[in-house]
Amino acid sequence: MSKKLSFQSAASLFIAAGLLLITIFLPWWGMKFYAPQYQEGLNIIVYPYKLAGEIDIVNSLNHYIGMAQFSEESFPELQFLPWIIAGMALLIVITGLLRKMSLLYGLIGLFIIGGILGIYDIRRWLVSFGTNLDPKAPITVDPFVPPIIGENTIANFVTNSYFSYGSFLLLLVFLLILFPLWKERRQ
Amino acid sequence: MKKLFSGAGGILAGLLVAFVFFGSSSLGAEEQALSSENKSNAEAVYVPHGEHDEYYLINSGGHSGQLFVYGVPSMRHIRTIPVFTPDPATGYGFDKESKEMLGGYTWGDLHHPALSETNGDYDGNFLFATDVANNRVAAIDLEDFHTVDILEVPNIGGPHCAAFVTENTEYIFLPTRFSLPFDTEYASLDDYSEEFRGVMSAVTFDQESKEFDVAYQVALPPWSYDKARAGKRDSSDWAVISTYNTEEATTNLEINASQADRDYIVLFNWKNLEERVANGEYEEFNGEKMIYPEKHKGDIYLVPVAKSPHGIDVSPDGKYFIASGKLAPAMTVFSFEKAFEAIENEDFSGERNGLPVLNYDSVMEREVDPPGALGPLHTQFDERGNAYTTMFISSEVVKWEYETGEIIDRQDVYYSPGHLVTPHGDTAEPQGKYLVSLNKIAKDNFLSVGPSHPESMDLLDISGDEMRHLMSVPVNPEPHYGQMVHRDVINPFHVYEMDESNPYAVYDQKDTRIERDGDNVTVYGIAMRSKFIFDAASERPDVIEVNEGDTVTMHITNTDFDQDIVHGLGIMDYDLNFEQMPGQTKTLEFVADKAGVFPIYCTNFCSALHQEMTGYLMVKPKE
Repeated sequence: MSKKLSFQSAASLFIAAGLLLITIFLPWWGMKFYAPQYQEGLNIIVYPYKLAGEIDIVNSLNHYIGMAQFSEESFPELQFLPWIIAGMALLIVITGLLRKMSLLYGLIGLFIIGGILGIYDIRRWLVSFGTNLDPKAPITVDPFVPPIIGENTIANFVTNSYFSYGSFLLLLVFLLILFPLWKERRQ
Repeated sequence: MKKLFSGAGGILAGLLVAFVFFGSSSLGAEEQALSSENKSNAEAVYVPHGEHDEYYLINSGGHSGQLFVYGVPSMRHIRTIPVFTPDPATGYGFDKESKEMLGGYTWGDLHHPALSETNGDYDGNFLFATDVANNRVAAIDLEDFHTVDILEVPNIGGPHCAAFVTENTEYIFLPTRFSLPFDTEYASLDDYSEEFRGVMSAVTFDQESKEFDVAYQVALPPWSYDKARAGKRDSSDWAVISTYNTEEATTNLEINASQADRDYIVLFNWKNLEERVANGEYEEFNGEKMIYPEKHKGDIYLVPVAKSPHGIDVSPDGKYFIASGKLAPAMTVFSFEKAFEAIENEDFSGERNGLPVLNYDSVMEREVDPPGALGPLHTQFDERGNAYTTMFISSEVVKWEYETGEIIDRQDVYYSPGHLVTPHGDTAEPQGKYLVSLNKIAKDNFLSVGPSHPESMDLLDISGDEMRHLMSVPVNPEPHYGQMVHRDVINPFHVYEMDESNPYAVYDQKDTRIERDGDNVTVYGIAMRSKFIFDAASERPDVIEVNEGDTVTMHITNTDFDQDIVHGLGIMDYDLNFEQMPGQTKTLEFVADKAGVFPIYCTNFCSALHQEMTGYLMVKPKE
């Protein structure tokens, strides 16, 4: 049980750590809004450290239904998320260096917990923005919660939520972390 | 008996079949041909929804003082650009900047738009136009299709034939239509020949600062200067202007300016004039650098031409200049090369008003006189060596080869064409695809709107050997030359960028404020969907309170940085209004000389709550 991980397994972990660092600079999640006069679509794109897309335009439209304004300040996660990711990468590297199975299990556990927390966090924000609508807004709509993935219709807008490159790469990182489990099976 | 019946019946049936068959087929063939021609014409001009026209056509609006933008081939009117005339639709002439630019004039007679050029072809940067009525020249920035500078040029009398630009937009030349008293404010018409001059101006335009400047002026003889062109390629240092009234008549010009058998083309070398100015060979005159050609010889020559010429055009290769005599029904092709040779050999037939006159026969290449064609005016070109000339009196366009003088084709237009325009048709790189004839008269071609009929344009397909008439459209008055430019050359932007260095711009609601300094009230406000905020900290952020007699300055920024979200601001009963493009900051200045409560509202439809986008100007009466 205290058997050391093979070199291939360690390599897999190092690659995983590298890719994980790259994900900091890639979009993780996004939402695209379509309306008759915005057929090209308006974007909110979430990176671990910033928001991108037509945030100002989305904000100026959201005020009609009394939704709070999106800004990087309103998401404190964006301040520390890159550090958590970097820390996670560091843990992967350490595991690869020490090549200890027990550390690997811890890592996988952390990853699963992190993933669940991440998805919970997105969900929490979607609920918060979609349900805390200003009662004095010019257009009254029922509170709504857009899905994490998929389509939603609100007023004249069809929204499309989706995971993006960063998340796909994150999945690959997870598979690379799982790889040693398969590699080291009953040997 | 039966046989007889059946025989007669057979013959009858045969006749019936023959009648129906041949009758309908011969009739149908004509109808079919006509309808298929109409159909193919319709297809040729149809631009499907969502697709764009291939060419911009930017037309002068004559005495409307405006420019009109059309798409070719659809001929859809896309935009009106106010230049010399205030325009409530855009607020042009109401906000501080454009009001100052218009200088108190409320109209202008906009002629001859000219696109800026690089290497003899349109570069899509700016468009220039002149005002015959008030001696002005304007620049329109093609990044946003708005007028950016207007210069009132001194010492001149109506730049009718201008503007025309040199090959790299070094100069915009403004020869003028009316000669005026020179050196004195007033002079008797009896002393016309001695006291009057027709001044031509060389104007520069700085594309960075977007400002005009007069480089120098030339005191030409007291004639009327009619149409002008800069040379191209080998002739690019030279330019030509047609003139009439070399008779120097002062009354009843219809008769008196049509007496001389020959008028002149003024041929001048602007590069030499430029050098002369650099060397200080000019005199200060009324604030301008004035060149007197009779004192400084060697740059300006006269070429005799058939009487009362109007149009003059330079072929794309820069080898020829073509003059059209509106009274002498012919196009005369002159050779630049021959003219240069004549100048070198001093092959002069005499002198007029101190200017050497070149020998007509030495410079003339050929006269082209299409039988029955009357009133040739203006010529444009394609890239295949063809010239296209409008015939004002015989209402047609004549296609001819300028190297040989051979007439290729003639096409009727409806009616009385003045100018015509082909894509890049006055450049060194014409694109002979379409031709638009700018007609002075439409007569009964369209639904009647009373005694005044619209002006009109005809669109012709000139890609083949024969010209094809595609369509006729009514247009705003008065189409007086235009520029047709490929859409790829023009690159407009959509939203103004944030300019943090602009002291009048406010981008954050929190920074909106109203400042008072004595009798001056300054508002730093914003317009956004769907409200005005003049002072965010105030109980009513959309209200401006002033005292009667205060001077009010409103700096307003449209903070919707979103394509096509335009706001307007109108103040009731104060005759004030402007339009604001996305991201733009504009300034309105006025004296609150009327006491009362004046609603302020958004004039440009901006959103579903546009109607609610209002505020108040409260003017407290004097005690």
